[in-house]
Amino acid sequence: MEILERLRERFEVLEEKVQRDDLIFVGTTGKNLIPMLVYLKEYEGFKTLVMISCVDWIEEGKFQLSYNLWAPKQKKNIIVKVFIDRKQPNFTTIYRIWPQAEVYEREIHEMFGVNFEGNPTQGEELILEDWDDIPPMRRDFDTLKYSMEKFGERAPKSRINIRREISEQYDEWRRK
Amino acid sequence: MDKKNYFLDEKPEKLTYGGVFRKIDDWARARSLWVVAYGTGCGSIELRPTFTSRFDAERLGMRMVGTPRQADVLIISGYLTVKTLKRVIRVYEQMQSPKYVVALGACPINGGMYYDSYNAINQLDLYLPVDVWITGCMPRPEAILAGFKRLQELIDSGRADGWKKYIENLDWYRENQRKIIKNWKMPNYNW
Repeated sequence: MEILERLRERFEVLEEKVQRDDLIFVGTTGKNLIPMLVYLKEYEGFKTLVMISCVDWIEEGKFQLSYNLWAPKQKKNIIVKVFIDRKQPNFTTIYRIWPQAEVYEREIHEMFGVNFEGNPTQGEELILEDWDDIPPMRRDFDTLKYSMEKFGERAPKSRINIRREISEQYDEWRRK
Repeated sequence: MDKKNYFLDEKPEKLTYGGVFRKIDDWARARSLWVVAYGTGCGSIELRPTFTSRFDAERLGMRMVGTPRQADVLIISGYLTVKTLKRVIRVYEQMQSPKYVVALGACPINGGMYYDSYNAINQLDLYLPVDVWITGCMPRPEAILAGFKRLQELIDSGRADGWKKYIENLDWYRENQRKIIKNWKMPNYNW
């Protein structure tokens, strides 16, 4: 892909993967992210920010932020990945490049606790009002336990235990 | 944090129910159920065919109204999040009594597929009195119509008294509501 060569010339590209003809994954460092996004927007035609998503890699102690961009003329997607430290999840906002990023970052802050410096509405409640625990989409948050403590349990105990065993087995299997 | 108490702790003073014409009133009420047009979850998608021409709930005297002050029935259609529960309690308390609650789907009964969700409640009857449960995920419009038929029977015979229980046991309901709603933070209103 020509665009990958152009990106490699200009920025530090840690990993790259061509998933389909119209979908490319590019991994980069936190310092390179904003110049790369601006370059992709202004020079390569990726004018639309489709979404920002976050993945919790608890074993490696990292959060992965994925910025999904769309080029309307070429009809192509590019996903820019960046890894940040899980213990101090601080990152820079990109709402000056795309204003709609403000809401995505607000939601990621609520669900994962990632801190986007410079985001004006960060910390306002989006979905969870009066939340009193660690952010719920982190993988060390036990959602079943929280639900049973807060909302009471209704399903038979045995069934819940069976389900919990299955999910623990699945986690172990995935760690291998 | 604003510590003012916005919950309505005092009970409504006057209840316009009962008297000599109660049976006639109930007969009339059962035949003109007005429903708040408010969908809390995925179940409200089944209410559109129920109330429009194909299944046509209007032949039972039911219709959607836009404000809780005019309505008799509140439908909890599907899962309830904590954020929605605040609004539902507010809508319910603003309705004029007698008022009835119909719960659709598995989620208000025992959490349904969201039983381990961090945000959806597991039992609705801890927070609001429910007159008719309709199970299913989601119930078909036929099931919803059958549920409303049952509600009409209950009203006709004077047994749909969830709203009375709510006022009698208001302290218990408030205690449950306060457990999960930490900060009410909504403008004041009355019964």
